[in-house]
Amino acid sequence: MNLIDALEILKRPTSDAARDLNVFLACGFTPLHLQTFLAAELRVLLPGYRVEIRTGIFGDLIGNLERLDASGVNSLVVVVEWGDLDPRLAIRSLGGWRPANLPDIGESVSQTAYRLQRVLVQVSQLVPTVVCMPTLPLPPMFSTRPAQAGSSEMQIRYTSVSLTASLSRQPGIRIANAQLLDEISPLGGRLDVKSEVMTGFPYSLHHASALGGILASLAHIRSPKKGLITDLDDTLWAGILGEDGVDGISWHLERHTHMHGLYQQFVASLAGAGILIGVASKNHPAIVEQAFDRSDLHVSRNDIFPFEVHWSRKSESVAHILNTWNVGADSVVFIDDSPMEVAEVKAAFPELECVAFPKADYQGVWDLLKSLRDTFGKPFLTEDDLLRLHSIRDASAWRDVVQSHAESSDDFLKAAEATIVFDCSRQSGDVRAFELVNKTNQFNLNGKRFGESEWLSFFNDPAAFLLTASYEDKYGPLGKIAVIMGKVRGLKLYVNAWVMSCRAFSRRIEYQCLKQLFETLGPDEIVFEYEATPRNGPFRDFFAELLGAPPAPGACLSRDLFAMKAPPLFHQVKGTVNV
Amino acid sequence: MSEEEGRLIRCFASVFPGLTSEEIRTTSAESVGAWDSLAAVTLAAVIQQEFKIDIDPLDLPELDSFEAFRTYLRRRRSLGE
Repeated sequence: MNLIDALEILKRPTSDAARDLNVFLACGFTPLHLQTFLAAELRVLLPGYRVEIRTGIFGDLIGNLERLDASGVNSLVVVVEWGDLDPRLAIRSLGGWRPANLPDIGESVSQTAYRLQRVLVQVSQLVPTVVCMPTLPLPPMFSTRPAQAGSSEMQIRYTSVSLTASLSRQPGIRIANAQLLDEISPLGGRLDVKSEVMTGFPYSLHHASALGGILASLAHIRSPKKGLITDLDDTLWAGILGEDGVDGISWHLERHTHMHGLYQQFVASLAGAGILIGVASKNHPAIVEQAFDRSDLHVSRNDIFPFEVHWSRKSESVAHILNTWNVGADSVVFIDDSPMEVAEVKAAFPELECVAFPKADYQGVWDLLKSLRDTFGKPFLTEDDLLRLHSIRDASAWRDVVQSHAESSDDFLKAAEATIVFDCSRQSGDVRAFELVNKTNQFNLNGKRFGESEWLSFFNDPAAFLLTASYEDKYGPLGKIAVIMGKVRGLKLYVNAWVMSCRAFSRRIEYQCLKQLFETLGPDEIVFEYEATPRNGPFRDFFAELLGAPPAPGACLSRDLFAMKAPPLFHQVKGTVNV
Repeated sequence: MSEEEGRLIRCFASVFPGLTSEEIRTTSAESVGAWDSLAAVTLAAVIQQEFKIDIDPLDLPELDSFEAFRTYLRRRRSLGE
């Protein structure tokens, strides 16, 4: 983005309905064009927001953070440069570069890094924080030739990297990835010496633009896609199974088909991170079974569910898989080596991201993997990510069982030996709860989404509560699958958000959740901030049955009505209450 | 209006969004309240990037109006830069 483009983006009027997004940009240099690029990139990413960026005092990064009043700040962006760790590492300071100064500079960097870590850990508990560690080259102050990395220089870099590693483990902090920045803004073109000396702004416009883009993408949480549907022949492996046979397909260096092995390895890593993997292949099921028996395959059949292997149209396979996963097409990527199949599926599901696998194109496969990492990447992995595939498989089996034994579902539910673990607290740090509330569509009270800062401030109210439910039965664990949040006002409970994963349907968990609310928090009545959305039909149906009437905003459920309407519940319930 | 003048007007408009093209042609640091040091640095940066030139900081104090920038660009062009 050029500076003129950024300025023109910022000139565009925002709608009256736009929400405020208040960002604090903390840096020790003059923010100047970085502020402009960051604001413009955020405007592009978040067209429904009015972006306001505040900055602090020149030359006092840590002071700016220590003085920060986090109330009203939706996002904190911290850009650290070498001069913030010790002014002698910046151009504008003339504090001395003698070899004798270097040990003291190293010590000073270490002490400042410690202070920075302390203040960032504190402030990141109050406001979502993005941190960018030094991006500029160190000055030519070391006694070695530029080609040689001396011990003083390495010590300074080590301190910076150690700080970065430590901060990356904090749940409220996202670190700008130096590797991506290296790709789009080469080190040699980042520093603008004239600008630094004349104005105190050290970045070239190109670097400021690249950095602004990365920082904006981290300040704005984007929901990753949930599933990948892949073809097999000439995609997951090289060769046509029906023609080449089980032993004829390959993904090996010596057969020049190694990139398919890399793709397998990548698919397995996605599965391990909780991304749903399905197969849509025109093949004989039996021969595909045999192929997955090969011990040198880098992805296991356990990583994949479901397999749609037959000779029908690929769009039919995709429809079955989406139905099994119970996710929308807009949350899924489809990959197939045949442009015709890609076009057929795209025509049937325009919102599905469809990609032609670039077979025999080494760089193309590499670029595809990088692009998929961007599509599926998430800030943190939770325990539930690791359970997702198992629980989807389990939920599918459940649906089959319940549908085929509808008349005796009580017996099935009883025999499932289910346990629900409730946790009721006022803690805002539950990453899985935040994720569930922001991505669940069907069993959702009102479709309300929370920004990170909104989420944090909700729980600052002493009346707030967060109830989460984790489920397990004899078929396996589903993990944390339900979240209710609201506020207690006397004998009334106001529920602002209630979501439950579609994997947990048909188990009466929703009734147990209500029972838990009545028993734990003791209200006479629960008031629901209900709102119909295009996708929350399952919630509406449940609610209508419970209330005996179509639900409306502000719908109430009394203790007596619940006792009358609740079906028999067979779960073993465990719980912790910290409100 | 020449293509160069149009691009220069666009640069000014991005930094001083309240001005019309006509107003920009006669604008100067004295006539526009928003033309402070920050705006001057931003304007110079936008023009440098747009016209792919490097403005000597010593020239900046003289570049205090639309006309001054236009003359400056013409001179640079005549020098083959």
